[in-house]
Amino acid sequence: MSPYLGKARPRPDAAEKATGRAEYIHDIRRPGMLHAAIRFSEHAHARIKGIDTLKAERIRGVRAVITAQNTPEIRLGFLRDNVALKGEKVRQFRDEVAAVAAIDPDVAAEAAAAIEVEYEPLPALFDPASALDEGAPLVHERDAAGRPLETNLMPVHFRHSSGDITAARSAAAHAVSGEFSTPLIQQSCMGTAGALAEFDPRMNLTIWAKTQIPFLAQRDFNSALSQIGLAGRNTRVIVPALGGGFGTGLDTHCYEYIAILLAWRTGKPVKILYKRDQEFAYLSPRQSSTVRISQGCDAGGRLTFRDVHVTQDNGAYGSWGATYPSVMMIPATSLYRVPNIEFDCELVYTNNTYAQAMRGYGNPELTWALESNLDELAEAAGIDPLEIRRINCNEPGEVTPMGLRVTTCGLRECIEGVGERLGWKNKGGWGAGKKRGVGLASMVHVGGSGRIYRSDASGVILRLDDYGNLYVASGGVDMGQGLHSALQIMAADSVGVDPERVFITQTDTSTCPWDVGTHASRGAFTAGNALLMAAEKMRRQLFEAAIDLYPDLVEQARRSWIRANPDTPPADFDWRASVAPERFQLRNNLLSLRDTPPIPWLEIDLAKLIRAAHFRAGGGEMFTVEAFYDPPSELPDWERGQGNMSACYTYGTQGVEVEVDTDTGDVKIVAMVSVLDVGRVINPQALRGQIVGAIAQGVGYALYEQVITEKGRILNPNFTDYKIPTAVEIDFPLDLEYIETDEPAGPYGAKGIGEPGLTPTAPAIANAIFDAVGVRVRDLPITPERLLAALHARYDDHIPRRAPNAR
Amino acid sequence: MSSYHRPPSVAEALRLKRELPGSSFIAGGTDLLVQMKDRVRQPTALISIRHLSELTRIETDGGARLGAATPLSDLADDSALMTGWPILGEALRDFASVQIRGSATIGGNLCNGSPAADAAPALIVLGARVRIAGLDGERLLPVEQLFEAPGRTRVREEELLVSIELDPPLPSGHGVFLKKMRTAMDVSLASIASLALLRDGRLEEIRLAAGSVAPVPMRLHETEKVLRDRPLTPERIAEARRVARDEVRPITDIRAGADYRRHIVGVFVQRALEATLEKGDR
Ligand SMILES: Cc1cc2nc3c(=O)[nH]c(=O)nc-3n(C[C@H](O)[C@H](O)[C@H](O)COP(=O)(O)OP(=O)(O)OC[C@H]3O[C@@H](n4cnc5c(N)ncnc54)[C@H](O)[C@@H]3O)c2cc1C
Repeated sequence: MSPYLGKARPRPDAAEKATGRAEYIHDIRRPGMLHAAIRFSEHAHARIKGIDTLKAERIRGVRAVITAQNTPEIRLGFLRDNVALKGEKVRQFRDEVAAVAAIDPDVAAEAAAAIEVEYEPLPALFDPASALDEGAPLVHERDAAGRPLETNLMPVHFRHSSGDITAARSAAAHAVSGEFSTPLIQQSCMGTAGALAEFDPRMNLTIWAKTQIPFLAQRDFNSALSQIGLAGRNTRVIVPALGGGFGTGLDTHCYEYIAILLAWRTGKPVKILYKRDQEFAYLSPRQSSTVRISQGCDAGGRLTFRDVHVTQDNGAYGSWGATYPSVMMIPATSLYRVPNIEFDCELVYTNNTYAQAMRGYGNPELTWALESNLDELAEAAGIDPLEIRRINCNEPGEVTPMGLRVTTCGLRECIEGVGERLGWKNKGGWGAGKKRGVGLASMVHVGGSGRIYRSDASGVILRLDDYGNLYVASGGVDMGQGLHSALQIMAADSVGVDPERVFITQTDTSTCPWDVGTHASRGAFTAGNALLMAAEKMRRQLFEAAIDLYPDLVEQARRSWIRANPDTPPADFDWRASVAPERFQLRNNLLSLRDTPPIPWLEIDLAKLIRAAHFRAGGGEMFTVEAFYDPPSELPDWERGQGNMSACYTYGTQGVEVEVDTDTGDVKIVAMVSVLDVGRVINPQALRGQIVGAIAQGVGYALYEQVITEKGRILNPNFTDYKIPTAVEIDFPLDLEYIETDEPAGPYGAKGIGEPGLTPTAPAIANAIFDAVGVRVRDLPITPERLLAALHARYDDHIPRRAPNAR
Repeated sequence: MSSYHRPPSVAEALRLKRELPGSSFIAGGTDLLVQMKDRVRQPTALISIRHLSELTRIETDGGARLGAATPLSDLADDSALMTGWPILGEALRDFASVQIRGSATIGGNLCNGSPAADAAPALIVLGARVRIAGLDGERLLPVEQLFEAPGRTRVREEELLVSIELDPPLPSGHGVFLKKMRTAMDVSLASIASLALLRDGRLEEIRLAAGSVAPVPMRLHETEKVLRDRPLTPERIAEARRVARDEVRPITDIRAGADYRRHIVGVFVQRALEATLEKGDR
């Protein structure tokens, strides 16, 4: 049994953060550093007729003013449809038109405001439907290669089709359909966005970036260096402490390239920081979506078909968020057993703010529709919602229509666990005569990383110093989710050192090995696997060195022991004869042999072995090993919707009891249960943090959060008007349970759990509301105003009044 | 902002205010600093008043006199005040957070002039008056008449609100304060205060006021008329709910629609009156 695994342990960064010592981008300063400010567009769609920077340049303390006219073009984005500074036209309110570097942030802001821009407004598009109308103006007239475009439909294709949906639809005993929507929402990182760019005298770039993809960012920034005439120069990306990522760090951003351009122009380090209102207005939120879904079942409740069409308002440019449908396809094809499936998704350019990824990556959007609609089907078929899920439950060993190979699957235990813990059996009937109700929803997500790039790998370098300290360098990013905690525990356990002797190297492309990025709940899974491979190498090297060195070290230890304890009876154990690589064991920095009599001097401090190896006559050695892990998964064929995207899959179910105030439309969460198949618990304390945080985000998604726009302009760019739940809203009993299915592909059996926690929350709440008052809201968030309108529509002002304790 | 002042007395504060055009008084700063950060207001100088003992005293002897710069948490901790005028305690209970209540002052809440000021409806139904000092003397004004427009009160540029004065509590009056927020720590989207005196099933006195549903916190005179000197019955309550809904003048903004706000005012009036009915004569 491992002494550390599965035991609660504070994260290694916890004390630093709690005492204000952690260095965020906001804290980092460089000698001679300048501050940047950006001038953003004042139109949703307009041609730029002229930019006059003269007034700004004359302001004291201004060091540079840049525009598309006086700097090389830097192209960026998943489809390379975006440029750092816009020259011809603006396509959204937040488009970057000019930027300033100045001696302090106030001067920079003043100068940015003093820039004069002349526009010729163009007709703009604010919803996907009108953007797809015939004759609609084009957001992009040309693609990145200069080819003319004919539509606002983005050139990305994700489809799946299996079985015979038409036949299945007509044969179904029961079928229901509905349209469900989700809003634009803010990732709401506690730490706002920012970057600091600096060139060294050889014109190599160092950038401190709030990123989740340091190595893909290095590639992007190196490509930018080429575009500004610095081909062959390198970028070093350093990731400071991050106050949250939630997907905002999956792309490189215009503001980062602007900082690079200003640093290049001025020869000084340049920092840019977003304030909260700028974070809201100028950083990409989560995509809004509309999902049209129908599902059907036979008389026994077995699902026979599922038909899903998604429309996403992408906004003006493509980010990695445009690959959302890749993950939507997972629940669409593989949550519960469904033989006949259609899935497609259209992503539409509009003049709204462009969207990017957020935790869950399309899965919460799709699960919202799927699990709400499944309750509608259960009602139509007269089957209990829990029962219909049990009937269609996924099983280990199954291959789903998309070709996902299910290894371990604890979904049945999750569903049944929620039922038990929520008291499902005692649940009342349906209808509107009471205010309290219960609901549940499940989820499936990639649990063994999600391959959306040709490499899905993680590297780890382990190094032991002369004193027995273990340094772990991983390319994965800890943005607050606890990756470093998982690495610390796994490193201590797998190498055999005290966790307090494990140090995680700051994420830096110049010292850490390559990693595709921290997304898809993959950090602990992939870096953990790489770490276990490296640990194996490390132990092999240590034990090999020990064959020669251990006998003498024991002899020394024996002598000093006897000096200190002269009365010790002689032990007749021939350790020299017992030495063999497979007999060594290393625990808590102590090296010893297996199956020996309990003789104290047989335990050697690891540091002694390392130093003996270091100073060995005739050539020493060091203990540094690396490993590179790429999970056994496939890059799916997206046009066909086929491929085993992940090495394993995480399942879970949430159940919730709500109380609805039918006078005001308020929804109060009375209790919540989450049962999650996590494979294996590494650190219960960090895991709890992940799930509680995710559920809070899920509750926000369900009930409160929404970026409100009017003709492309964001109206609520602050936490006064953009509501996330406070401690008061999540102050309900939260019962968390884990199913440990011991996933063979996972490090110690663990699966990824970063995103699953928020995925089923919204539909579970909506299903509970339906159970309570017989009304289904299909648009998130379920605000009191919306719910009340739905109640009035359903009951025509004769809403049953409060009936406390009706259950 | 070029200077920050900490005058030794109210008189000196008033003199400084005249001397420094474009300056602002600052009490807890929980409204003003937010506005300054958003550049909605850019005072040339700040004149602090929160340290002035003349402005931070709570006196209760029959009636009450609350120094304008008293932090809300001090008011909530004053047991004589909370026992005599419990509706004030209700209005302060869900007001912001512990941290904000430690800084925010009662005078600042009123002088900021927000239609959502949570202290206003309660003070209006209590019939409170404010004492306003200028360089040439003092005057009294009912809180009900203090608000002019969103962000504007009848405290003039060179005047200081020094205290809030309360009459002795209505014997056996029943006070209720209700507010609707999207989440905790929110600007209310509708609130009501009700002070009722029920005797032998009749409402001998009823005062109702609402916040966030008109350009200023407003008294619900029409609704009161339906109720005053009449027996308090479920039918009467239903009628009051309807009248209140029609009487308020809310707008639609990003926090809520006008219709929803009207609806909530009606629900709250009903709930307040039902609570009074349930409590009964005493
Ligand atoms: C996070 C947060 C939550 C909040 N929640 C609530 C809430 O739930 N309910 C609510 O009603 N408000 C709320 N507020 C608003 C604010 O806290 C209150 O209005 C508070 O009472 C203001 O008092 P203050 O002393 O901080 O005013 P200040 O900010 O110091 O002043 C406000 C204005 O009044 C003027 N002023 C202050 N005192 C005087 C005086 N004696 N004479 C003349 N002029 C004066 C100032 O010049 C300024 O213009 C919240 C604010 C924040 C930041």
